[in-house]
Amino acid sequence: MALSRRTGRSRLTIALLVLTSITVLTLDFRDSSVVSGAREVAATIFSPLRGVAETATEPFSNAWNGVTGYGDLERENEELRALVDEMRGERVRDEDAAEQLAVLLEQLEIDWVGDIPTATARVIAGPGSNFSRAVEIDKGSDHGLKEGMPVVTGAGLLGKLVQVTGQRSHVMLITDPDFAVGVRLVESGITGTAEGTGEGDPLIVDTGLEAGSEVDEGAALTTSGSDRSAFPGFIPVGTVTGSQPGSGGLTVDLVVEPLADTSRLAFVTVLLWEPGG
Amino acid sequence: MTPAGPFVVAARVSLLLVVSLTIQLAVAARIEVFGVQGDLMLLVAIMAGLAAGPDRGASVAFATGIAFDLMLQSPFGLSALTYVIVAYVIGSLQDTVLRAAWWIPVATAVIGSAIGVILYGVFGTIVGQDLLHPSLLKIALVVSLLNALLAPVALRAVRWATDTSSSVRARAIMR
Repeated sequence: MALSRRTGRSRLTIALLVLTSITVLTLDFRDSSVVSGAREVAATIFSPLRGVAETATEPFSNAWNGVTGYGDLERENEELRALVDEMRGERVRDEDAAEQLAVLLEQLEIDWVGDIPTATARVIAGPGSNFSRAVEIDKGSDHGLKEGMPVVTGAGLLGKLVQVTGQRSHVMLITDPDFAVGVRLVESGITGTAEGTGEGDPLIVDTGLEAGSEVDEGAALTTSGSDRSAFPGFIPVGTVTGSQPGSGGLTVDLVVEPLADTSRLAFVTVLLWEPGG
Repeated sequence: MTPAGPFVVAARVSLLLVVSLTIQLAVAARIEVFGVQGDLMLLVAIMAGLAAGPDRGASVAFATGIAFDLMLQSPFGLSALTYVIVAYVIGSLQDTVLRAAWWIPVATAVIGSAIGVILYGVFGTIVGQDLLHPSLLKIALVVSLLNALLAPVALRAVRWATDTSSSVRARAIMR
């Protein structure tokens, strides 16, 4: 009798807890201010403690990552040396092109990323779990950062700010399935929407191109910067690596490799830019 | 022994969660093994089921999941939902099947972690996160092994946090 009463109470408890979990999940999907507010409060309270713990354990984690990633680092170092040589040659040409572009855009009254004020931030924490994709940076609203601002690396678009507290912010990465950005193919001018599909996976760009259309592999994409776009124009996004049938098979989606490396981040740049700003 | 009141237990569980969360975010999340991070919070939920049974274990697991979800940019409530189910299943099995033996916490951590990771992937995919990749199996394997190593320490900590005068079950498991 006592056992069945206890079992009945346990079932009631599990039912209540599962229902509560589903309720908060629903609230989150409805972008409830309660959830975002709770997250901000928790992040603000917990940040100092986390910061102290990270500082204290940094030598250990650095040593571990140095030992386990030594082979990768060596190979990456060689690749970077070759890349630096290549880029030295391209730099002069790019500077000239950038100046010409800036003049042209000024005449057309379009925001150019080169004119936007920026804030450099250090990545202080990666995703906290194997399934979370956002990274944390050491600047927040005290430094003029706001939710939605674009975040870039030297290579290109990295993501956008999704949660901003006084001293810290979270960056949703470009590979996140919830991430979407309007893009334009540099050569053809075709526009579309790029969406993340997960860490380590390429972006998928819905361009509306008819089935059978061909786009050169290696074609570059930048943000479109069109009206009401959440990002300014001309931020490098990625390069086309292939194509696949779109939904229904009537169109072609482009498979795009992001330029920004989301796996190893140290410093990032936040563009102090807001839509319509 | 004087029974520990609900406020004392709540304070201990809160302390356990703060310490676990700090270690998870400041240490486990920054040390990868084969590209996979440890999942200490899942281990705490599993050990809560083992130490405190399906009822209180699931409640502690829920608090653990909510605390973790607050710090992540993933669907809020997903960890809580997963942890509650894992802790309840383990707590129920512990009531009827499990017996005191040194290897039980370790084996429970392995099986519970694998179930927890896969369940999170399934629930995540249901809510649109597309987490059912082949890499999920690698994550489940590595998390299981890491949690197996930490299981004895985690069980002691959870047992201390959830222990009341009547919870002799956890002591029996540790003997």
